[in-house]
Amino acid sequence: MPQEAPGVRVDGLTVVYRTPAGELPAVRDVSLTLEPGTITGIVGESGSGKSTMALSLLNAVQPPGRIAAGSVEIDGLGDVVGFAGERLRKARGAHIGYVFQAAQNSMNPLKTVGKQLLDLGRSHGVADLRGLVREAKELLARMGLDGARVLDSYQHELSGGMRQRVGIMLALVLNAHLVVLDEPTTALDMITQANILKIVREVHAERGLTTLVITHDIGVVAEVADRLAVMYGGRLVEQGPTRQVLGSPRHPYTRGLITAIPRLTGDIDEARALPGRPPTLATVPKEGCVFRERCPLRMDVCDTVDPDAVADGSRIVACHAVNVREHA
Amino acid sequence: MTVIARRLAGHLARGIVMVLVVATISFFIIRNIPGDPIAARYQKLIEGGASPEAAERATAVMYGFLPKGTLWQQYLDYMSGLFHFDLGISVTNPGTPVTEVLAGAAKWTVLPVLFGTLLSFLVGVILGVYAAVKRTGKLGDVLAVSGSLLHGVPQYVLALLMGAIFTTLLPILPSDGTADILYEPGFNAGYIGSLVEHATLPVVTYALASYGGWILAMKSSVVTVLGDDFILAAELRGMKRSVIFRYIARNAILPLFTILALSLGLLFGGSIFIERIFNYPGLGFLLIDSITNRDYALMGGAFLLITVAIVVANILADLFYSVIDPRVRSTEEVS
Repeated sequence: MPQEAPGVRVDGLTVVYRTPAGELPAVRDVSLTLEPGTITGIVGESGSGKSTMALSLLNAVQPPGRIAAGSVEIDGLGDVVGFAGERLRKARGAHIGYVFQAAQNSMNPLKTVGKQLLDLGRSHGVADLRGLVREAKELLARMGLDGARVLDSYQHELSGGMRQRVGIMLALVLNAHLVVLDEPTTALDMITQANILKIVREVHAERGLTTLVITHDIGVVAEVADRLAVMYGGRLVEQGPTRQVLGSPRHPYTRGLITAIPRLTGDIDEARALPGRPPTLATVPKEGCVFRERCPLRMDVCDTVDPDAVADGSRIVACHAVNVREHA
Repeated sequence: MTVIARRLAGHLARGIVMVLVVATISFFIIRNIPGDPIAARYQKLIEGGASPEAAERATAVMYGFLPKGTLWQQYLDYMSGLFHFDLGISVTNPGTPVTEVLAGAAKWTVLPVLFGTLLSFLVGVILGVYAAVKRTGKLGDVLAVSGSLLHGVPQYVLALLMGAIFTTLLPILPSDGTADILYEPGFNAGYIGSLVEHATLPVVTYALASYGGWILAMKSSVVTVLGDDFILAAELRGMKRSVIFRYIARNAILPLFTILALSLGLLFGGSIFIERIFNYPGLGFLLIDSITNRDYALMGGAFLLITVAIVVANILADLFYSVIDPRVRSTEEVS
């Protein structure tokens, strides 16, 4: 069991879904590195492929989807894309923790949290179940909950914020050091959101984790992430340190996203909505740039050539217009 | 515990009211069916020249009793009889109390139908899980089609078909009755063997007829649960397949218990077509007989038995639910 934060290298990952119209890519040729001990945020609209991306880290893309190409190299584990059967099952939970959206019912409604914790322990061959329960109570107490009471509760007896904390506990209790949080604050009220984010940050630092947060909410990423990756139409269009990306976005999509956020101060009309709509699995262009239909900087080359992700220091941007200007 | 007790008390009170209402309705409906055999007999004797007293005496001797008073009077007598578990006297079986007749027929219905129901429930539920898990493959298709097919074929067609196959084309099973008269009724191998042999066709036909419903219901229930987030969550937490399977099974079977409870209640109605076709003297058979013979007391008794059985089955189902589904339990505690 790894005792320290693992690094993760996603390389050339392509995930396709089988549809009546053939196999369509939901994630296309994505490369992303999670440095050990960092929090990375992936932002994108619904349908941008960010959840598929998150599931790929556990090699858990649900049929009719499948990983068609690429690798997900995790320190201390190997390339999970090649994992199957028992080996894959044991990696999940024990090495990689996955936290569901709070509004999703991630627990069996007919069993108490404690019983499901024991099921989890037995599934992973934990010999010291008492120790596991103690660890779970400590984690819950750390997150401000009465552990004994929560373990004795059914899912329907817990509030959204409590469920989310239980989800985090279940992801960490087996001592996983890589954690994926899928929309961790969606459907929670503002105060609970802030609480959960604080917990994510603190637990991340205390336990020495490598964390990936998937969200559509730039505010969440700004709050917790060291690095930020922006997804659009199954492609990673821009990534870099959170402050830099938010402070001086380069890709026209990132810029559009940020100008679309209404400010707390100033006129509401200052927020400018991004024109057009995001592509779906079926409408993603087969060639050329995925964003060109909505792009203010569109050029001829965008119709035919998919822009490469070009690194510039710690920033990576996939855009003909931006990269031409930078390198000219 | 007090919650359950309070719940049970409420159910019992409602159940008793329901039984009384049904008894009242069935009493008046039954008395309004034309063709009263006792009145007919009495009429015949009068027409034949007997004095009213003699005719009355003769009719009373023949049927063991004579209805007297107005309809209201009869109704009150009937209801007060109910409280003493006295359902009156059967006309088709002169002198025998209805309760006795019902008990006699019940033994030919309850065990076979119970066995048939549980058999089809078990097989249907297990195959339903497979049909759901393998729904994209050939096996799933075959199972689902078998379910729809058997669910769609009427019971009497199935019964006639089974009868034709196993008693005529391939005569390995007896076609009617409960046991061969060769054997002395009692606890001996020959008699019991004959009982089983005679019960096989009704039981199997009953099981086949209800199997389709179970497999279809279980399949759709499992498919729903498979799409639930907590199943994916359990998978992503690396839970063992056997654990996940138990999660699926327990969640999917919940809605089926309501249907099972209802069919166990209906069990006391017998299976009219199957009992008729295999000449099996159960409750369904008795019910048809009582209607043909205008045996009011027996009819009323049979209806009442079915009502009570369904009410009791519902109460049991509800109590059972609060044991197996924690969500039902806690809503009760809150209110």
